[in-house]
Amino acid sequence: MTKQRTSNKAKKKAAIGWISWVWLFKFATVLMVLGVVALVYLDAQIRHRFEGHRWSLPAKVYARPLELFKGQQMAEGQLDYELTQLGYRWVKNAKAPGQVQKTHRGIMIYSRGFRFADGDEQGFLVEVSLQKNKITGLRLSSGASSALVRLEPQLVGGIYPAHNEDRELIQLHDLPSGFIETLLAVEDRNYYSHYGVSPWGILRAMWANIQAGSVVQGGSTLTQQLVKNFYLSDRQTIWRKLIEAPMALLLNIHYSKDEVLEVYLNEVFVGQAGKRAIHGFGLASRFYFGQPLNELKLHQVALLVGLVKGPSYYNPQRHPKRAIKRRNLVLSILAQQGLISDAQKMRYQGLPLDLTEASQVSRYPAYMDLVRQQLKQHYQASALSSHGLRIFTSLDPWVQHQADTAMVDQVRMLNQRHGKIEGLQGALVVSHRDSGELLALVGDYNGGYAGHNWALDRSRQVGSLLKPVVHLTALETGRYSPATLIDDGPISLPQSDGTLWQPQNYDRKSHGKVPMYETLAKSYNQANVRLGMQVGVDKVLQQLRRMGVEQSIPAYPSVLLGAVEMSPLQVNQVYQTIAGNGFYSPLSLVRQVTEANGVLLSHFPFAVRQAASNDSTYLLQHEMRMVAKQGTARGVYRYLPKQQQVAAKTGTTNDQRDSWFAGFSGQYVATAWLGREDAKPTPLTGAGGALHVWGQLMQHLAYTTYEDIKPQSIEYYYINVTTGKAMPNNCPNGVWLPIPKASAPSFNTTCGY
Amino acid sequence: MYNNEITPSKFLLLISLVFFMGGCAAPSYGPIVEDLSVQARISERIPVLTVNGSTKVSAKAAAAASPLTPVIKAKPKPYVAPKAVVTITAQPISNQVVTQLVAQENIPPAVEEAPPAVQETQLPASDQAVVEQLLAEADQLKAQGKVTQAVIQLQRAQRIAPREPKVYARLAALQLSLGEASRAEQLALKGLTLVPNKKSYQYYFWKLIGASRSNLGDSQGEAEAIGQAAKYK
Repeated sequence: MTKQRTSNKAKKKAAIGWISWVWLFKFATVLMVLGVVALVYLDAQIRHRFEGHRWSLPAKVYARPLELFKGQQMAEGQLDYELTQLGYRWVKNAKAPGQVQKTHRGIMIYSRGFRFADGDEQGFLVEVSLQKNKITGLRLSSGASSALVRLEPQLVGGIYPAHNEDRELIQLHDLPSGFIETLLAVEDRNYYSHYGVSPWGILRAMWANIQAGSVVQGGSTLTQQLVKNFYLSDRQTIWRKLIEAPMALLLNIHYSKDEVLEVYLNEVFVGQAGKRAIHGFGLASRFYFGQPLNELKLHQVALLVGLVKGPSYYNPQRHPKRAIKRRNLVLSILAQQGLISDAQKMRYQGLPLDLTEASQVSRYPAYMDLVRQQLKQHYQASALSSHGLRIFTSLDPWVQHQADTAMVDQVRMLNQRHGKIEGLQGALVVSHRDSGELLALVGDYNGGYAGHNWALDRSRQVGSLLKPVVHLTALETGRYSPATLIDDGPISLPQSDGTLWQPQNYDRKSHGKVPMYETLAKSYNQANVRLGMQVGVDKVLQQLRRMGVEQSIPAYPSVLLGAVEMSPLQVNQVYQTIAGNGFYSPLSLVRQVTEANGVLLSHFPFAVRQAASNDSTYLLQHEMRMVAKQGTARGVYRYLPKQQQVAAKTGTTNDQRDSWFAGFSGQYVATAWLGREDAKPTPLTGAGGALHVWGQLMQHLAYTTYEDIKPQSIEYYYINVTTGKAMPNNCPNGVWLPIPKASAPSFNTTCGY
Repeated sequence: MYNNEITPSKFLLLISLVFFMGGCAAPSYGPIVEDLSVQARISERIPVLTVNGSTKVSAKAAAAASPLTPVIKAKPKPYVAPKAVVTITAQPISNQVVTQLVAQENIPPAVEEAPPAVQETQLPASDQAVVEQLLAEADQLKAQGKVTQAVIQLQRAQRIAPREPKVYARLAALQLSLGEASRAEQLALKGLTLVPNKKSYQYYFWKLIGASRSNLGDSQGEAEAIGQAAKYK
């Protein structure tokens, strides 16, 4: 039975076998042809991707570079802060780029050099002498004489494409010593001798893993890893596995080991920051250590290489213990393979992770918001997110840091003082007085949150912040001066619906006839409405338009008390013109745009347009200094030294819904706003809220003494404020006020009281 | 070593081929292509950079590595050929959106050197060495025909020494030589506010304003400026 069956089976088998062989042959031929076609296709894809097009690079956004020159005034702690942000390391003896050292004169900086839009700045070793935060001398070690040097600018963000891949391209010569050895020791020991795949490597890895009792080595070669990341999707399928090996072989045939390695170094995924994927060791070095790759020491190299295995599991920021363990394992492998001595291993293993202290979350959401908006006017979104453009902005990291801090500190304190103020929000805008460049933008009370941008997107009534514009309009007529007496008596104006509008002073009192400067200093509503009606609401609005407010505003008298909605950014633009001696210069934030290789694409030249005469603006500036010295803004001198000149104005809207403060020092123009998200009343006046944010900010910015330049046509007179007339210098209770010579006040030979 | 022999690799290639053909013959070929997603990936990552493939890079002779030369394939909208820098007239940042800025694609034909009657050398030297250095650099750049770079240096000087009238004098003269008469006039007017007691500057700025207005076809304004300049001669 058994035998028979077997023989039958054998016969059948032979017959079937014969037929199958024919079919199999035909089938195989077809497969061969298809396979060759597929291989050719695969090959073309590999070459296309590898040679033609590789990565889309996000545009890089840079802050302004710090300029160092003799006479430069820095704020307390500023230089240290900026150097830390740039990833400089404090050492005993600065002898390599990225190092800084304290000396008895000041500090010694070894800068890294940078390609600016206007040319290359070489790295230099310079000793900066400092006295009371003022640079008193620069000594370049090269002996070359230069009155100024600039540090490389801080990279403050990128404009990312939809998939949020970020990287910083590097070449093999950017690698620090020991990098390739470490990488190959851990990931692919026979990289330079295998053919793209390495069965031996797989076996060795298995053996090593068995010995270690856990997965310490991966079996796939760097070439395979690259193929996986570069050409294949993340989906774990058997087909992907099958294609990976032939692709790796093809890659190995076409390109040199160094070329493949260079691409690998830039492609490898090494971390995730929110939505942003960190690719390549170049960016990884910036991201984790805040330093360029070529400055890394071996223990840092070991960490980066160790991260390849599991960037999120070994994330050094979240899991420092795991990261140290992994790093030390990498160092042990180096020692095992004789690449470093045991002593070196011990020493490096004892070092801390040395991560950067600078925060890696986007620190400048509001500012970046505006950069993006502005660039979209000139560049397509795809160009911004893929061409590796370099955007040079005027962002001042120190000012931004102080602005963020002031907002957070003061909002916290106000919440303590008044009990929790539900939904309290804030915004702060800071620009450079003379150039009109935006230096910092806070769009939210806690700085970091990238939700609504309150500095930009939201307009609120500006209240008394509009009064300086009323004054400027009056001064421009030539019929007024700070000494002109204005009636602060009750005023009532008919409205379009037939009812009467009767604005009142904050203290609900009338103050009789007061000199014009005092109506601003004390922010008297009745006097200001009267003044505004005398010059004309339409004239005030025309003046406002010349100062950069373009929206159409109906000419109601209530405008004179600030029933106009403006964003903090717009308010700052208006005050910029006052600070700029009557010259409007548009707030700007992008200085230049270059291609990745430094070729200049766009440049934004400084431009001004006269919006008010220098004389009127000078008079207004004087009035606003009085507001700060003795008026509603005098609270700022709790933060500032008495001799510091600032000109400012407070603003409070109906029921204290908005708390405003805007003004300028010798160097900076700033606008602060506080209010509730739902625009409901708060316990804050301008002086009780926004003033503190503004004051704390200015307190921490560099302070340079600055004298206003008095126009020739203006003279100071000693004025009796009850008569508005000049009187002898020895009379009591007079005020020195600037008045155009052409409308010189009449002179009383007696004191006139 | 194993890896130095050729046969195993050929063998491996063959095995991979067979595997691969198997894959191609299988009904689930479709998903492979999708999986491969080379096309998708390329469109996802907009092509940008190329590498000069002919140059061999050696890890050992790393210093001689070929540069990863970025070549922009797809041009951004207002893209201009390198060297022709887009000069953008900044305008106010409005509430929601930054207002459309005017892109000026070509540098206007240079006008003959600013006001011929005015000699910049008559202006007193700045008391800040840093300003003089930047002005000298700007002059050098301008002489090389790098006008935009010169403007950038002058703006750098303006930020460092915002009340230095000489910087405004140079900026205004440079803008005038670029045919930007209106911009030059305004810069000179602003410069005037810095020099109420400096005759040489007042003379210079008024002359420059006169030349700018002449360029703008404002003969009345020009006459007024010339009258003003005469006061400070």
